[in-house]
Amino acid sequence: MDFSLSSEERMIRDTVRQFIANEVMPLEPEVLKNERNGRPAISDDTLKRLQEKAKSLGFWGINTPKQYGGAELGWLMTALIYVELGRTYVPFMFGGSADNILYEGTKEQQERYLLPTIAGDRRSCFALTEPGAGSDAGNIRTSAVKEGKHWVINGEKIFITNGNEADFCMVLAVTDRSKGPHQGISCFLVDRDMGWRSTPIQTMGEWSPASLVFDNVRVPEENLLGEEGRGLALGMRWIGNARWAIAARAVGAAERLLEMAIQQANTRVTFGQPLADRQAIQWMIADSAVEIEATKWMTYRAAWMLDQGMDNRHMASMSKLYGADMANRVVDRVLQIHGGMGYTKDLPIERWYRDMRLFRIFDGTDEIQRYIIARNLLKGHVKVGQD
Amino acid sequence: MKILVTVKQVPDTATKIQIRADGQGIQEDGIKWVINPYDEFAIEEALRIKEKQGGEVVIVALGPSRVEEAVRQSLAMGADRAVVISTDAAVDPAAAATALAAVCGEEGFDLILTGKQAVDDDSAQVGPMIAANLGLPQVTVVLKLEVDEAGHRLRAERELEGATEIVELPYPAVVTAQRGLNEPRYPTLPNIMKAKKKEVRRVSMDSLSLALDPRVTVNRLFAPPERPEPTILSGEPEETAKELVRLLHSEAKVL
Ligand SMILES: Cc1cc2nc3c(=O)[nH]c(=O)nc-3n(C[C@H](O)[C@H](O)[C@H](O)COP(=O)(O)OP(=O)(O)OC[C@H]3O[C@@H](n4cnc5c(N)ncnc54)[C@H](O)[C@@H]3O)c2cc1C
Repeated sequence: MDFSLSSEERMIRDTVRQFIANEVMPLEPEVLKNERNGRPAISDDTLKRLQEKAKSLGFWGINTPKQYGGAELGWLMTALIYVELGRTYVPFMFGGSADNILYEGTKEQQERYLLPTIAGDRRSCFALTEPGAGSDAGNIRTSAVKEGKHWVINGEKIFITNGNEADFCMVLAVTDRSKGPHQGISCFLVDRDMGWRSTPIQTMGEWSPASLVFDNVRVPEENLLGEEGRGLALGMRWIGNARWAIAARAVGAAERLLEMAIQQANTRVTFGQPLADRQAIQWMIADSAVEIEATKWMTYRAAWMLDQGMDNRHMASMSKLYGADMANRVVDRVLQIHGGMGYTKDLPIERWYRDMRLFRIFDGTDEIQRYIIARNLLKGHVKVGQD
Repeated sequence: MKILVTVKQVPDTATKIQIRADGQGIQEDGIKWVINPYDEFAIEEALRIKEKQGGEVVIVALGPSRVEEAVRQSLAMGADRAVVISTDAAVDPAAAATALAAVCGEEGFDLILTGKQAVDDDSAQVGPMIAANLGLPQVTVVLKLEVDEAGHRLRAERELEGATEIVELPYPAVVTAQRGLNEPRYPTLPNIMKAKKKEVRRVSMDSLSLALDPRVTVNRLFAPPERPEPTILSGEPEETAKELVRLLHSEAKVL
């Protein structure tokens, strides 16, 4: 067992950290101002410019296979990079990546959807959740009915990230209700100009997911992604990949917040002594550090298992559950340590506070993660104490 | 053009320095080590010259095994290979310059670049002493550097207080870099991946058989005194201004 980073891993991590600190973090005040005036956090131009700059350094498609022009850094390295990206609330992401399930497409589908998404010319969204089906995703009602060489899709999707901006959608719909969710749901690639519509949903966060309406949207049969009837499995793969990534972002954000808290504790003096001298404050700092560290190692392990070709779903669920809760506890403590200032919009803490609440909801709620973890143990898929 | 860049590994300036109990050095564990920032300007300048005119950039470093990391970082920025003089001993500026000059001389070069000083001990002696050791012209605290390959000359702008001095000199020479000379690049991903495969030649300091009698010995290191509690003057501006002048004159004795 070796917990140290290789010299490459460390150099890559440090370079990303430097890039984020020098190129991305300076945009933070602008992001706050934009968001508070109802504008997008950063303009598409700014994002493109940053992504191009990163690309010139080779940071492009960090987890995209080499044959698609990516850097293929592996999942552990990707996790290390996500931690760094999580240190800022500027919605920056390296370019050159696409949803994992787009690689399942036929050669022709890859050319129309995967490659342009990698290139940044097309933007995807993934639509599973419906007003009546979230945690119980198998319960979706959106239907796809075959008519000649087309599928006709009807239904409504809700809370779809990038649903307002995307120009195509990976949508899950029931193709054969009699076969149940694991054989009767399929995934389709549907261009916006085939007729679906989106409406933004205001949230407590700063960006809006969308509700999507499919009203007799006709989709050519060649737009079925993967096998007919195996859509839910694809959907679960999409979600599964995001779980440990959320935990990694939670680590980055929590580390940054804890740094702010330490600085505040050392500088703010009350009753003649710095906050840092008070045990009540020290315990908040200690607990935060311990929980960050625990999340970090679960997350690295989940990513590492993927690199080893192992089934990481149990570990991914554990890291997501613990990481999402950890981030919420940490931001709450950090806000508390800042007192009234923490509650104001002069500092970004309240923004993070609202943002992080989402971590406990999407990509499987806390309760669903616990359900998965417990089921794995109770059914013996995973044995206690087995590594 | 073959350019040698001498690189020192120093504690990150954000690191909190703790002095060892024996007062002879700093506690090294827990320190984040980085390339001396002024040396980064030197590396960047060397890479730019190489990109324009071709040639080779070789890193020359000195220190214990941990300096390997600074060397790899330099290679990740794009240097071609490195020579490391390995020693665990504390080395004073004269000894460092003697050893570096010996290895540089043996390596051969057209130009030696380095930082104007290292941010750990701030002695600013090693660059000039390498030049002296090798009998070369030198120009320090350089803000702009042009290489005239045809005329085999350098044109350097160096910083003086309130003025810029323009110097022309023949090379081989030693040039020390000031902040502002350039903007050091980020290592690129492909170069990071290549860094491990690049040649790093290790030379033990002892094998150089140099007379390295230290000219400087450290008697004791100690932290600067804690800053005393500030005095805050309150009241009408007219009175506080008078009081401030009085304090500066008779207490602080700076006026
Ligand atoms: C900002 C945002 C972005 C999103 N992005 C996407 C996206 O891009 N694509 C997409 O498809 N979806 C997306 N979602 C949807 C998200 O994945 C769902 O909201 C989530 O899975 C929960 O489903 P639900 O909202 O229907 O809650 P429900 O399923 O109604 O759950 C309500 C509560 O009941 C609990 N609960 C449910 N079932 C059980 C049970 N059996 N036992 C115990 N407790 C239970 C839940 O944990 C939760 O606390 C997004 C959501 C948000 C808020």
